[in-house]
Amino acid sequence: MEIDKITKIYFEGKVVSYDITYIDSNFKKSVPINEANTDYQAIQEWAAIDGNNITDPGA
Amino acid sequence: MAITRIGNIANTIPDDSIQNAKFSNIVQSKNIIINGGMDLAQRGTSQASITSDNAIHTLDRYRTRLTTLGTWTQSQSTTVPSGQGFATSLKMDCTSADASPAAGDRLFITQRIEGQNLQYLKKGTSNAQSLTLSFWVRSNKTGTYICELYDQNNSRHINKSYTISVADTWEKKTITYDGDTTGAFTNDNGNSLECAWWLGAGTTYTSGTLQTSWGSGTNANRAVGQVNLADSTSNDWYITGVQLEAGSVASDFEFLPVDVNLQRCQRYYYRINPNSTSGSIGSAAYYISTAVFTMLEFPTSMRTSPSLELATGTNYYNINRNGDNDQFNDFSLNTSNIDSAHLYTDSNVSSTAGFAGRTRFNSASGYVAFSAEL
Repeated sequence: MEIDKITKIYFEGKVVSYDITYIDSNFKKSVPINEANTDYQAIQEWAAIDGNNITDPGA
Repeated sequence: MAITRIGNIANTIPDDSIQNAKFSNIVQSKNIIINGGMDLAQRGTSQASITSDNAIHTLDRYRTRLTTLGTWTQSQSTTVPSGQGFATSLKMDCTSADASPAAGDRLFITQRIEGQNLQYLKKGTSNAQSLTLSFWVRSNKTGTYICELYDQNNSRHINKSYTISVADTWEKKTITYDGDTTGAFTNDNGNSLECAWWLGAGTTYTSGTLQTSWGSGTNANRAVGQVNLADSTSNDWYITGVQLEAGSVASDFEFLPVDVNLQRCQRYYYRINPNSTSGSIGSAAYYISTAVFTMLEFPTSMRTSPSLELATGTNYYNINRNGDNDQFNDFSLNTSNIDSAHLYTDSNVSSTAGFAGRTRFNSASGYVAFSAEL
């Protein structure tokens, strides 16, 4: 599945997780900020690619 | 689990010869592979249209690594070797062929293993233990296949071939890998070792010499001689009874009780499915009038703080409180640790802050899962 969008999720002013949605899919991941989580590792790799940006809706 | 294992060993040791040394290497399960009997498929029993991917689709713990080499349906099959005690197998069925792989194309099935479960192998020391892999396999496509152990901590690998000799016939294969005196596994909850079954590869992985002793990572040496299972839509491949164990001898497959097997799998993935169109997810409360927390605990401690996975859709979920319901479409993860999670919903819910309730499925298409896969 190809990532459509990654969005920061805020709670009480702090980022607590990242939501990942996928193109042509109703599947969703919500990923904790945790270095040992392989989805979190994948988000860092995705964000490091030129042109990929994490959506930040603000607190 | 530990009591059963000790019991089995104790039966083979004369009462008058029990020594501490006999128990020095006892581990909870001799099988390093989890779900070796292909019994558990929390995500579902069949997934069609698999193309390029790096994901677990059906059987727990078995990851598909596919780079543009055909299209596949993966399923939990009831085709099994007769009289061996297995009920299910993993099946790969080619539905769109690729008879001429590009250089970088590849397909393999792999299981990733935590380093902290491998310390007793003493890898990276002069006492490094050998490993023996045994499994039952079947395919219409006869020829040479490759099984690989890949040390992810030190980028080292060892690759051995096996032969499917007779088409459409179950064969038991046993492969022994020497111990590796170089490069210890990191003692943590990360991915240290991958055990992989190659099913097809382009020249990037086949142009060298097969790495039959441990050596530094070289792609060209990983799948030399591998047949291309993707060359026809008539092709399929089955595997079950997978066991990877210390030593140079393949012992009988270790059948585990289903609850033990499920607990081992749920360390990495735990899924709650609807019971028809309802079924409980967790207890809940309105944190504010327009947001609901759902709290739930996992049945076993997970490898690390997991991700939430779910299907989203109109009114897939609801919160049932005294005298009313709010239906909503999805959750986000607020926080998780290895034992529990808090889910958050702040759309389509409205009540009085502090009211309690229960979060339930409202559609057969919804599900909630937690993934701490390697």
